[in-house]
Amino acid sequence: MTGQISFPDVTQLAVPFLIAAILAEFLWIALKKRGGRYETRDAVTSLIMGAGSVAEGLLLGFIAWALLMFLWELTPLDMGTSLWAVLACFVLDDLRYYWVHRLGHRVRWVWASHVNHHSSQHYNLTTALRQTWTGTFTFMMVVKAPMVLLGFHPALVLFCGGLNLIYQFWIHTEAVGRLPRWFEAVMNTPSHHRAHHGRNPRYLDCNYAGVFIIWDKLFGTFVPEQDHDRPDYGLVHNIASFNPLRVAFHEWAGIFKDMARPGLTLKQRLLYAFAPPGYSHDGSRETSAGIKAAHLARHPEDAGTPGFGG
Amino acid sequence: MPLELLLALVVGGISGIAVLLHLAGRSRQAVLTAGSARSAWLRHFPNDCVTKVLPAASGQAALVLTEGGPGLLWAFGADTVGRPLAAARVRETASGLRFEFNDFSAPGLSLSLPDDERRQWLELINTPAEAA
Repeated sequence: MTGQISFPDVTQLAVPFLIAAILAEFLWIALKKRGGRYETRDAVTSLIMGAGSVAEGLLLGFIAWALLMFLWELTPLDMGTSLWAVLACFVLDDLRYYWVHRLGHRVRWVWASHVNHHSSQHYNLTTALRQTWTGTFTFMMVVKAPMVLLGFHPALVLFCGGLNLIYQFWIHTEAVGRLPRWFEAVMNTPSHHRAHHGRNPRYLDCNYAGVFIIWDKLFGTFVPEQDHDRPDYGLVHNIASFNPLRVAFHEWAGIFKDMARPGLTLKQRLLYAFAPPGYSHDGSRETSAGIKAAHLARHPEDAGTPGFGG
Repeated sequence: MPLELLLALVVGGISGIAVLLHLAGRSRQAVLTAGSARSAWLRHFPNDCVTKVLPAASGQAALVLTEGGPGLLWAFGADTVGRPLAAARVRETASGLRFEFNDFSAPGLSLSLPDDERRQWLELINTPAEAA
């Protein structure tokens, strides 16, 4: 199909509101003395990661755009830009986000890009902006291909992706407890996403949703936040740097270092890149499955509870 | 949005938030005690069996001895990070010890330690785990 369509870049337009919301959250926490923690260098690192991510989009966004426009030229379908088309695209894009996000936690190559978002030991609105600088190199833009081939214009697909990202901003907070039951049942919420950011064994690899939590319930990855096991934020092996370059590239450095080890087979080298995070050829590291098993060995009473097969 | 305006918003926003947080006392480092260092180590390495914890007099770090070998825990902003020392290079400096972790996610760390503390730490770091 051919055709010129443009939508606003919602992530750029949202910048003033994001800054205002961060200030409001911090003031609320400072006044109420509850609802989260802020640390100067952690917050600044997150904000710089967010700015860098926007810059990466400006510099390298043309690659995804070129691919999607190439597919748009091929497809005979055109869903148009009616309200229904936008709504359908938004829901499909959220399903796309779920699977990309799930791959982002289960394939080290994609995790290398996403890990920085989980690298803060804090959980506040600045954490939402701790976004990747290397998303283009994961080639996950190909997951958008089916939507374009179905007849959704690339501009509409990217617009919905931007809206999805904006929605996820406000759920990065401890200032909001739980929302009404109907909302928690359908939508991704601060409570669900706190669990996703938990490094506790219970919460590893859960709640990948962007906007609708129903995807996790449908695909068996939903774990509700537990009051007796509050999420402990950060990585299983926390990074020791506030340097944005180290935050952005540390897992890539780890992949290439592991792949270059002497004495490995080709299969082992490839597994260091594409197996789940924590893979090692000699069993010296643990994947999330191993971490959960080790936890259950220490705490057998947790077997069958949420996150441990319950 | 014009690029100049976006740039001004981003730079102004980041700077303003940094100044506000600093003035509000959010730049304070964690101070480690034996108890908090033990808890923090087990938070990072829940499978470890900690045998001894030696917090530095400054409170900025702690040497943690485990059945698997020594590790270093140190203040990282308001939180902590830890690394086992098995793969690390440790050397004396004029004011304390320098740790190189051979890990891109953990750049080297220089700690100021008084002479007696530095000697004790070096001795324990170089002692095989089963003898510690």
